[in-house]
Amino acid sequence: MSAELRPDQAPGTPASATPPDPRPEPEAATGFRLAAGRFTRNRLAVAGLVVVVLFVLFCFVGPYLYHTDQVHTTLTQVNLSPSAKHLLGTDAVGHDELGRLMYGGKVSLLVGLAAGVLATVIGTVWGAAAGYAGGWVDAVMMRVVDAGIAIPALFILLVISAITTPGVFGLIVILGLVSWLVPSRLIRAETLTLKNRDYVLTLRAIGGSHTRAITRHVLPNSISTIVVAATFQVADAILLVAYVSYLGLGVQPPATDWGGMLSAGLTAAYSGRWWLILPPGLAVILVVCAFNAIGDGLRDAFDVRGRG
Amino acid sequence: MTSLLYLTRRVLQAVAVILVVTVVVFCLLHALPGGPARGILGPQATAQQIAEFNRAQGLDRPLPVQYLYYLRTLLHGDLGTSYTLNEPVSQLIAQRLPKTLVLTVLSAVVGLVIAVPLGMWQAVRRNKPVDYAVTALSFVAYATPVYFLGIILVLVFSQILPWFPPQAPQGDTVAQVLSDPAGLVLPVTAGAASMIAVFSRYMRAATLENLSEDYVRTARAGGTRQHAILWRHVFRNSLTPVIAMLGYYVPVLFGGALVVEQLFNYPGMGLLFWSAAQSSDYPVLLGCVLVISVATVVGTLLADIVQRIVDPRVKAGRS
Amino acid sequence: MTAADRFAADSSAAAEQRMLELDDLGVTFTTETGEVNAVRGVSLHVRPGETLALVGESGSGKSTVAFAAMGLLPGNARATGRASIRGTDVVSAPESELAGLRGRTVSMVFQEPATALDPLTRIGAQIAEVIRNHRDLSAKEAAAEAVELLRRVGIPEPEQRATAFPFQLSGGQRQRVVIAMAIANSPSLLIADEPTTALDVSVQAEILDLLRGLTAEAGTGVLLVTHNMGVVADFADRVAVMLHGEIVETGSVEEVLLHPTHDYTKRLLAAVPRLAVAETDPAPVHTGAPAEAPAIGEPVVELRDISVRFGRGRNGVRALDGVSLSVRPGETVGLVGESGSGKSTAARVALGLIRPTSGSVSLFGSDLGRMRSRARRSLRSGIGVVLQDPVASLDARMSVAECIAEPLRVHRRAMSAQERRARVADVLERVRLPRTLANRAPRELSGGQRQRVSLARALVLEPRLLVADEPTSALDVSVQQSVLEVISELQAELGFACLFVSHDLAVVQQFAQRVVVMRAGRIEEQGPTASTLLYPETEYTRRLLAAVPMPDPVLQRQRREHRLAGQTMGGSEVPA
Repeated sequence: MSAELRPDQAPGTPASATPPDPRPEPEAATGFRLAAGRFTRNRLAVAGLVVVVLFVLFCFVGPYLYHTDQVHTTLTQVNLSPSAKHLLGTDAVGHDELGRLMYGGKVSLLVGLAAGVLATVIGTVWGAAAGYAGGWVDAVMMRVVDAGIAIPALFILLVISAITTPGVFGLIVILGLVSWLVPSRLIRAETLTLKNRDYVLTLRAIGGSHTRAITRHVLPNSISTIVVAATFQVADAILLVAYVSYLGLGVQPPATDWGGMLSAGLTAAYSGRWWLILPPGLAVILVVCAFNAIGDGLRDAFDVRGRG
Repeated sequence: MTSLLYLTRRVLQAVAVILVVTVVVFCLLHALPGGPARGILGPQATAQQIAEFNRAQGLDRPLPVQYLYYLRTLLHGDLGTSYTLNEPVSQLIAQRLPKTLVLTVLSAVVGLVIAVPLGMWQAVRRNKPVDYAVTALSFVAYATPVYFLGIILVLVFSQILPWFPPQAPQGDTVAQVLSDPAGLVLPVTAGAASMIAVFSRYMRAATLENLSEDYVRTARAGGTRQHAILWRHVFRNSLTPVIAMLGYYVPVLFGGALVVEQLFNYPGMGLLFWSAAQSSDYPVLLGCVLVISVATVVGTLLADIVQRIVDPRVKAGRS
Repeated sequence: MTAADRFAADSSAAAEQRMLELDDLGVTFTTETGEVNAVRGVSLHVRPGETLALVGESGSGKSTVAFAAMGLLPGNARATGRASIRGTDVVSAPESELAGLRGRTVSMVFQEPATALDPLTRIGAQIAEVIRNHRDLSAKEAAAEAVELLRRVGIPEPEQRATAFPFQLSGGQRQRVVIAMAIANSPSLLIADEPTTALDVSVQAEILDLLRGLTAEAGTGVLLVTHNMGVVADFADRVAVMLHGEIVETGSVEEVLLHPTHDYTKRLLAAVPRLAVAETDPAPVHTGAPAEAPAIGEPVVELRDISVRFGRGRNGVRALDGVSLSVRPGETVGLVGESGSGKSTAARVALGLIRPTSGSVSLFGSDLGRMRSRARRSLRSGIGVVLQDPVASLDARMSVAECIAEPLRVHRRAMSAQERRARVADVLERVRLPRTLANRAPRELSGGQRQRVSLARALVLEPRLLVADEPTSALDVSVQQSVLEVISELQAELGFACLFVSHDLAVVQQFAQRVVVMRAGRIEEQGPTASTLLYPETEYTRRLLAAVPMPDPVLQRQRREHRLAGQTMGGSEVPA
């Protein structure tokens, strides 16, 4: 799944328009403040931000308030239904499910965030280089991206899981390496537009270097596109983390993540132990929705597409 | 640009992409524990057997030379032999691929048939309660892992409400599969859900963008009524970019099929791939990756060609 | 005609005499930053067969009036007052009634022919749609009528062209199709919003001739919205001048254009660059430009036999073909031509942004093709650049001072921050901008101010050559004038050479000592401005000059008659 597949809010819409002949009145607000204002008026995006903050608190502060043992198996306490002592019951090896939700959430959020950022960084470098270089360099680099997109990520992840079992760090790298393709296409498109902007042409004409054009104009002006891409990328990475355990690539017990909890609870769900899959499933859905809502809000606030 | 020239260029591009894919698969082959020799001789081979095999097969030669050998075997349609099933990989895939195609094509068709009108409806009802409700639903559908959705579907529509079987049709041929439509309902639903989410959003945005185009104003100035503008002009103009995106969605569809087939025990290529992963059956794994990637490239190519037919501007090379 | 219409028409004979009547029309936009009153208290009327021109600069609200009269305002706009078209009040009428009115009683021609047509529908079908919206015809009959309409608007081979898609037509042809749609049901009122602004001057003349013929034939009333006083003089019977959403002056075209009473109208007319022509004014003409300066010394830039091809093989486009031109120290060379003539490409070759396919460029006496890239870059410090788009020319993320200082950071690395600040303040003053602007963001400036910032950036290294590519064509005439003044004053002071690219012959005549006329990638003719633009040697330049509308209705009528007489003898179309 890809950020590029996410539709953009149309920049100009029939429902509203700026007056066709605006008088040149100086705007007091800076671009950033304008964007911030637009973002905070987007209720869905603000809700997304709140959800993310709450989940971060839940996963990283929660364990200090709600102590559970997530390392040792407690065979006397397996498969308990939710009760006052175990608010969400226990799993097949006796871990408290609510505590496990916090414990696994740390991994899901950290890996998702890191992998999403890594993918965006790789994609930005690759896309900016291809777009700025142009010509056959661009053609070759983009065929590599096409090839990467053609190999479905889940298939590659399953092959890797057959070969090796990575740790958390390895997982981040693997996820980053399978998901940088879409951001690279976005950044390339942005670079193609920016490198032909009049201010870049002017700089080139008076003898400014490529380095200066890229570092002073192209990249700073792509920041909003990059930030929006990164937000969507994090959402996708968290979703992908939920798949990797299912594919057998996840972190090893006793460590876990939401995906690991989900796949471990799948069979239990058929025998009615809903508390083993609903909480981690809903957690994944909520957090992914939240990041997507933030991404949508940022995109509209920055008007990323309208700046084309 | 003439159609023939365009087609040639586009096919050459696709071939270049497939070549890069073969390089990736070739690298994976060499990343296997024990390298390709282990891949072919199987997990029981001794170190000496492997060394002999490497000499005999030229695997001690430089990598680029080996890659050319590898390409040659591929061109002969030779994808190796499965360890566990002891059958040529190409034959295994030939049996399973049509069934996977049935699943993915059905999911795509169902997805589009629902998503396209839904997105247009949302655009027309922009910022009204229906729009918000559908948007929220599509956010959730996008964020739900397919296997989680599949479990929920089985729990609700098979266990609690005994409407559909929890297992996909088990027939060997496509005809047998299609003769059990009830069994296909849940797998296709699981496969189509995120597609509906993505494409309804996309269609909504494309429709909104087109509604603000100048030509809509021209049509209104000529006295054309709103619904006629929508169906005669905006619909087709919004559909073109959506078709182009379809090409990029093909790998996602195959990824979904992988999970859906495993979950509903549907004997397609996804399930073959899944069981090969469990038994480290490398020839099957790499063969499947190669075939799925080629199928994706072909799918993208088809989407481009369809877009070219729909949009005369693309045909003229100035989209 | 429905019974209700007939009743409305009969009941008010006065309305019959006024195709359009606006009474105290106001339009308010609700935007992110608050309410904007774009139009206030506008009252005007259009009688049958009469053309009323609504003129004003950007921001005056003239286009908003046109859209309000069609009932086509965007969703965040609210109209007050009355706007009646043959007795129907558009402001209060429901959408269904408006749909019955639009395309039949009142039609519209838009500014941008490139986007006005549905790209995926054949043009014949788009015209037929308007016909069938209002008349009960079979698809076949409507298609036949569409072909007939295409013939009337002067599309050659209308039977074949009816099946073409909009992208297969030139801009002028597309505008003809839009006009065909507008007249399809013989409306009594035509609203034209800047109908020729996006077109070249020769195409503009043809479109205006076409509109004039069609509306005179049918006695159609026209509301013409434009910023171009030449177009007004050529086309209008009466004129209403708008400023800040209000009408400040109304009168016949002769009164307003020749004897304006309102201050704003006077200023506006004074700022319009006027083309000096020989045929109508045999006395020695003062063109505004100084007589050809003694252009001495080696050329600062010289293009020798330059050809540029974009793309390869059959799809390749030859953008420039054997172009040779040079600019000498201290002189201004005007590069003129219509769109697609290659004038901007030639400027970009001179700037080193486009590598020529063949030919050579020398800058300050050195052959660019034979230099190492580092040397080439330092040579370029002698160039200043001003491009057309005031928005895209400045990086929105930088402050005005940073934009201006960028060339210093490239070529004067050793300069201290303090020296840089002083230098920036100095050039700001030279382009007549207050020093306090230095810390502002470009978005806070007006278009004219931004172009002056671009100019300041171009001059900060004290260049020997200024390349200006349509530096004022995105600006209103009054702003254009002040920017041009600044450039020529600084040129007199600093003595740089200038390559000035423009589509506006009147501006070039005022501004350049030598002129190069380009057409389809080739140089048509070149020479001293005074003689070349007064007594052109080629037929093409003559036709180009004849097509420029003059902001004087009496003079323009003579010019038009002269031009049309010439057309019946010679060819009519000026091939692109």
